[in-house]
Amino acid sequence: MSARRSISRVAAESSVAVLLAAVVVAAALLAPREATMGDAQRIVYLHVPVAWLALLGFLAMAAGGACYLARRDLRFDHAAQAAGEVGWLGCTLTLVTGSLWAHEAWGAWWEWEPRLTSALVLWVISSGILLVRSTIDDPHRKARVAAVLAILGALDVPLVVLATRWFRGMHPVAPELDPSMRAALWISFLGLAALFAWLGECRRNQLRLGQHVAELARRSSALVGM
Amino acid sequence: MFADCCRIIHKDLVSEFRSRRAWPAMLLVGVVAALVFSLQMDLLPHEKPRLVGGLLWVSVFLAGAAVIERSVAGERDDGCWDGLRMMPIAPGALYVAKLAVNFLALLALGCLLLPLYFLLSDLPLLSHVRALASVALPACLGLAAVGTLAAALSAGNGRSGSLLLLVAMPLVFPVILAAAECTRLAAEDRFDDAWWRWMQLLWAFAIVFVTAGTLLFDYAIEE
Amino acid sequence: MKEHDLPLRAIGLTKHFGGQAVLDRIDFDLSAGECVAWRGDNGSGKTTLLRCLAGLTRPTSGEVEWFGRRIDGDPAVRRFLGMSAHESRLYPQLTLRENLLFAARMYRVPQPAQRVDALLAEVGLAAHSGRHPSQVSRGMGQRVTLARAVIHHPRVLLLDEPFAGLDEEGARWLWQTLTAMRAGGCAVCLTTHEQPAACQIADRVCELRSARLNEMETDVASRRGDVHVSVFPARKAV
Repeated sequence: MSARRSISRVAAESSVAVLLAAVVVAAALLAPREATMGDAQRIVYLHVPVAWLALLGFLAMAAGGACYLARRDLRFDHAAQAAGEVGWLGCTLTLVTGSLWAHEAWGAWWEWEPRLTSALVLWVISSGILLVRSTIDDPHRKARVAAVLAILGALDVPLVVLATRWFRGMHPVAPELDPSMRAALWISFLGLAALFAWLGECRRNQLRLGQHVAELARRSSALVGM
Repeated sequence: MFADCCRIIHKDLVSEFRSRRAWPAMLLVGVVAALVFSLQMDLLPHEKPRLVGGLLWVSVFLAGAAVIERSVAGERDDGCWDGLRMMPIAPGALYVAKLAVNFLALLALGCLLLPLYFLLSDLPLLSHVRALASVALPACLGLAAVGTLAAALSAGNGRSGSLLLLVAMPLVFPVILAAAECTRLAAEDRFDDAWWRWMQLLWAFAIVFVTAGTLLFDYAIEE
Repeated sequence: MKEHDLPLRAIGLTKHFGGQAVLDRIDFDLSAGECVAWRGDNGSGKTTLLRCLAGLTRPTSGEVEWFGRRIDGDPAVRRFLGMSAHESRLYPQLTLRENLLFAARMYRVPQPAQRVDALLAEVGLAAHSGRHPSQVSRGMGQRVTLARAVIHHPRVLLLDEPFAGLDEEGARWLWQTLTAMRAGGCAVCLTTHEQPAACQIADRVCELRSARLNEMETDVASRRGDVHVSVFPARKAV
């Protein structure tokens, strides 16, 4: 690796670390203690950003899939897979933190609240896509099947959200936030976005190298066979 | 293109009529599901509509899944699928033809299960036939649209084939929810704003996924 | 479609399965009226190559052109193409006649019923046209499969081991049909395991080995000589 690349990598990693530290400070110290729920409300600073990042990851997976179908370049598939996996992580964290929140706020681990239900459906869809991926060996076939499913999944998102909202007939609107709470929320969104982007980039790089290794192995076996 | 679609539909229906391979099994699974579910429903009369709609549409999708899967997998038995893919028709037309057959199968299943569920749970059926038919049309279309595409994806993928239909299940979540709600509202004689909203969702789903299926089918059947 | 466009051209065709190269940068041309036979052992990739050319399998890289057009771009170009494979491609629930009629209609053959009846008579199966594929012998099925491949008068014919399973009469019909079609400008490409008849009819014989296609040095005279007699004794007697 060239010196320049290693410097930029160290810079990127340290900025992710700094931003994450800022998230902790913002969520724990900057944001005031909420009146009714107390410190448990601080889950929001993790819950809301990861929910948005999950959705973004999901859409990025579909976009990567669409690009793959158009260009047939496995690099797009690597990006799609990395985005999908990071999005899945975000979705899982959304469900876990949402469940913790529900336990503190409503006294039950699970409530059929529209957004949580949407997140659950989304989680099942993305788990399914990743599961199907893992069963197919051929890289191009895997990429193609996953791309079609990811596009279908992305088209499904608005319909799932609408259906779950109407089903319960309640529309939990975003409450009026204290300016410092809003700032803390934004800081945590930025910090977690940086973390997820870094994770996704690492995974993408790993997939790219894996592909490279497979290619080298194929070539060397072809040489031996000659 | 329309004539080509009709020929494929005709061919599929004749084949199914002669072999009686998939549809009778589907109808039987549907009836068994209806009996088992209804047997467990020991509810007060006003609670029944809430449950019947959901169970009905889940049964339709589960029982129909086998037919939908066979619609493409059955073509592959003697290499017929290759023969079909080499014919000078657009992949979208092939999708529409397969979709139409699956839609008809689900509609037949719905025509059997709707009265059965209503009968077994002692709900008024005859006064709502038209309303229920207008639910069944977009609901079956939406289910068939996703199912046909998933079947095409699964047919080329051996062991992950059955997995793909499982993946299709959460995708049809909005259809099942919307169709269940429409059925409940119809059984309760409530054709208000909520009913229209759910109907819109059903049609929106059907239109979005039929369009997506037509455009993506070429990628789905590729090998 | 321009007249000077080659019926079939493959450029740098490569196909990998699970990281293994089955076809490796294959270039291949087929001109009008030409017949090429590919030889190769089992698993050498003949069928894969044929499927790539037919647009059934997408190559990992490289392109296939039919009459100067990409096959995945325009479904209409498939009308010029006929193919027979190992599988019969016949629907088990339809009769032989219905199978051919379905294909004829899908290819928009003019007067499909007449064409189907004439073809069934040609392959000697007119009396069995109401039977289902499972009710006829393998050789009879193979004849119907071949009839299905030529039903729409294709301008390029891809045949995967066409002589396998055919009896003498069937092989003669195929031979005559291919000769007549080639005279009309149809290009033929066939694979063969080790069949003298297939090599006899071909202008060129290529061998697929180690994922590459090599043209074989063949002595045309020897190919058109005695072997011919041994395969078609009845014809010599005429």
